[in-house]
Amino acid sequence: MSKAYLNYAAKRLIQAAVVILLAYVFTFVVVSILPGDPITNVLNNPQNGFTPDEINEIITAQGLDKPIPVQLWTALSGFLTGDLGLSMRTNRPVATLIAEVLPSTLVLASAGLVVALLLAAVIAYGTQFLPKRFGQGLLRGFPSLFLSVPNFVIGLVLIHLFGFQLGIFRVIEPNSFWATLFAAVALGIPISAQIAEVLIANLDHESGQEYAAVARGRGLGQMRLFTKHLLKPSSLPVITVIALTIGELLGGSLITETVFGRTGLGSLVQRSVSSQDLPVLQAVVSLAAVVFVLVNLIADLAYPLLDPRVKLIGPSARRPATADEGFTDLSKAVTP
Amino acid sequence: MATQDRLTAPIQSVKFGAPKPQLLVPLLRTEGLSVSYGPNQVVTDVSFDLNPGKSLALIGESGSGKSTIARAVLRLLPSGGRATGRVEFDGQDVLGLSERRFRPLRGRVIGFVPQDPGNSLNPVRTIGVQAMEAAALLDEPSKAIRKELILETFAQVGLDNPRRVYDSYPHQLSGGMLQRVLIGLAVLPRPMLLVADEPTSALDVTIQKRILDLLSRLQRDLDISLLLITHDLAIAAERADSLVVLKNGLVQEAGRTAAVFSSPKSAYAKKLHADVPALNPDRYARLRDPGFRLLDTGAGKPPKIEVSAVTKRFSVDGKVLTAVDNLSFSVPAGTTHALVGESGSGKTTTIRLLLGLEEPDSGKIVVAGQQLPERSSASLRGVWRHLQLVYQNPFTSLDPTWKVEQLVREPLDRFKIGTPGERVEIVREALANVGLGEHLFSRKPGALSGGQRQRVAIARSLVLKPDVIVLDEPTSALDVSVQADIVEVLLSLQARFGLTYVFVSHDLALVRQLAHTVSVMQRGRIVEHGTVSSIFDNPQQPYTRSLLDSIPSAASGIARLPQPRARRILTKEKIA
Repeated sequence: MSKAYLNYAAKRLIQAAVVILLAYVFTFVVVSILPGDPITNVLNNPQNGFTPDEINEIITAQGLDKPIPVQLWTALSGFLTGDLGLSMRTNRPVATLIAEVLPSTLVLASAGLVVALLLAAVIAYGTQFLPKRFGQGLLRGFPSLFLSVPNFVIGLVLIHLFGFQLGIFRVIEPNSFWATLFAAVALGIPISAQIAEVLIANLDHESGQEYAAVARGRGLGQMRLFTKHLLKPSSLPVITVIALTIGELLGGSLITETVFGRTGLGSLVQRSVSSQDLPVLQAVVSLAAVVFVLVNLIADLAYPLLDPRVKLIGPSARRPATADEGFTDLSKAVTP
Repeated sequence: MATQDRLTAPIQSVKFGAPKPQLLVPLLRTEGLSVSYGPNQVVTDVSFDLNPGKSLALIGESGSGKSTIARAVLRLLPSGGRATGRVEFDGQDVLGLSERRFRPLRGRVIGFVPQDPGNSLNPVRTIGVQAMEAAALLDEPSKAIRKELILETFAQVGLDNPRRVYDSYPHQLSGGMLQRVLIGLAVLPRPMLLVADEPTSALDVTIQKRILDLLSRLQRDLDISLLLITHDLAIAAERADSLVVLKNGLVQEAGRTAAVFSSPKSAYAKKLHADVPALNPDRYARLRDPGFRLLDTGAGKPPKIEVSAVTKRFSVDGKVLTAVDNLSFSVPAGTTHALVGESGSGKTTTIRLLLGLEEPDSGKIVVAGQQLPERSSASLRGVWRHLQLVYQNPFTSLDPTWKVEQLVREPLDRFKIGTPGERVEIVREALANVGLGEHLFSRKPGALSGGQRQRVAIARSLVLKPDVIVLDEPTSALDVSVQADIVEVLLSLQARFGLTYVFVSHDLALVRQLAHTVSVMQRGRIVEHGTVSSIFDNPQQPYTRSLLDSIPSAASGIARLPQPRARRILTKEKIA
């Protein structure tokens, strides 16, 4: 690994850490400066039946009587050491609550991503090599179709068809293999649409490139042309798309979990929202930010390794290639 | 050594049928070949024969269907393309074969050398991985031996460091090296036929010559037939045994090279012959002579352009690169000065310095009596009134959403010259001067041919009435006949308005046709300069001589002609 790459990786890593910290501070500040302090609102709600003494006790225990910068400092240092505070609803550590449900959501989200990738690859392969009379054109319509059907509808159809009609899985065992698989399918289908669209567009572009014709001129068959030549260059932009769909994958898993009755981050969020359990919600938002930043960090770090053409250049003077080249044209280059 | 035997093994090792007992079956024969894309027929009724060990050139300009024929022979037409007629390979019709039965022929029997080496290898995979695909056709089970064979072939095609090439990615190699790699990959499986689609059009002249020499040598040593597709009549005359001249998908003329060349019968072949710069060095003598008179009488003084001891360095990845090194030349008014050299010789940087787009690190540039100021856009505008640039590629240098009239008027608007009414007049005059009719004024670039676009670009540079026009390879993106038209326009404009040209090109034949004085550049330095006749007739430097040697010459091609007969006897013996 070159020195330039390590330099670049270090810079990206620091940037990612800064973004995560800023995201946390932002959510904290928004909650703190919102008019009508939601936390005291919850406490003062007569339905919760706290006496004024108890309210004061809670406020002191949570440190809510201290000035905001001090609160921020406490919260931030807690966040950095993994202490996310106490849930107001259950009085248990937020970190524990999340740790209980996170594995289930991670399994679903990663299975959903795998389904989406497989589906996108199959559709994209078909659009390139399926003969026209076997519905190549139809296949190109699939991504739009997938994108326009909400995933809870897909989930309900799958439950009805495979759960009730065919009896492949039992609805009351949402964590069984088959139930998880169908949940992942429901989650993966809309995600696959975006990946497939980008993949198809890139395959169309790459298969029109001269090198594809030259490779066929060397006697390569369709399957080898696809796997050895077209797939990799076409997949590079897909990395960016995947990184961007992670947010959707998380949001989608919350919905899918509800539809399939799974216990996960989704049910935790649902319960926390209905009981206005702010520490939990804040932790979940921060977690989402962390996941999003990490995935994009991985994408950024992977790019230079996968595409040898990506150059890590600094702001050094470059020799223009043509007489009319602009001064700022640095295409195909990443400035760290 | 086992690998050595394999490389020099005779052609019978190729597994395509048994050697035919009779001699006169052409290796490749097309009969009534037509290709259409939907309703558009792009190739009509083309028939030709290519005998074993021979070479045949398909010649034509863009749109003539020559590359389409190559693709049809390889059955690599883009989707939507449909070929009819017959394409016989060794007596067997291959057009009707299923893809599954045809595929084994690709690579093993028919090798393909593409046009643009820069785009012909997968950019994200190493050369070695792609070479292994070609080596897979050799039926050699051991991967180590396959790699040895690849490295040997790389050495055979003149790559200096085969191991480094093997581990490189395409973008790490130069165009000439990539084309060698591609030729190596094509000949590695020992095909009987090599289809070379404009194999040198993207390369520098000296490299062009080396690549063509390499192809000729491999053709001779490995007894491969060559189907050469080219737009350059001079190359075809030099390298091919027979020619097929195409226009708009129709055969204009076909026959032995010597015959077609010495007495072209069709009007199109005659025009093509007349338009090729290498074959007609004095075609524009009448238009160019006034400039020579200026040179002789010294009337062109003081010079329009004076470049004295200019040096420009760039730093790339921490290394300092001297793009232009102590460069001096001067151009008398009303004459054409040519800067010639290969890629990387500093031509482009010199233009950018002249235009004020780069600042020299040291030295002085004087244009029309004014010293080029430090870079500041206000004072540069003054320079640009005297000095205009015509770009290399008219397909990318014009905004596709603007009309011709707007494109040409823009400089007048920017410099606020004249009233709107006067501007319209100037535009009309400029367009008339480059020979564009009024019916084209409201068209957009997309509706113009390449030659018309370049005329628009020239008109655009003329409206400011500059003294100097910098021509950056103004014809390299154009067909030969269009190129001749543009050269004619440029020279007649010079004769009428006394314009001074700085002409940048790697095409020496063209330079010889239109320049008055020449500077030969190599690695940022001028290695030789002088009048066009002194440089071309009496070159002093080895580098200049090597450049001149790479101009394809028909004479050498025709002198070579008796050779194929000897080769045929060889073939006969081998088959017997």
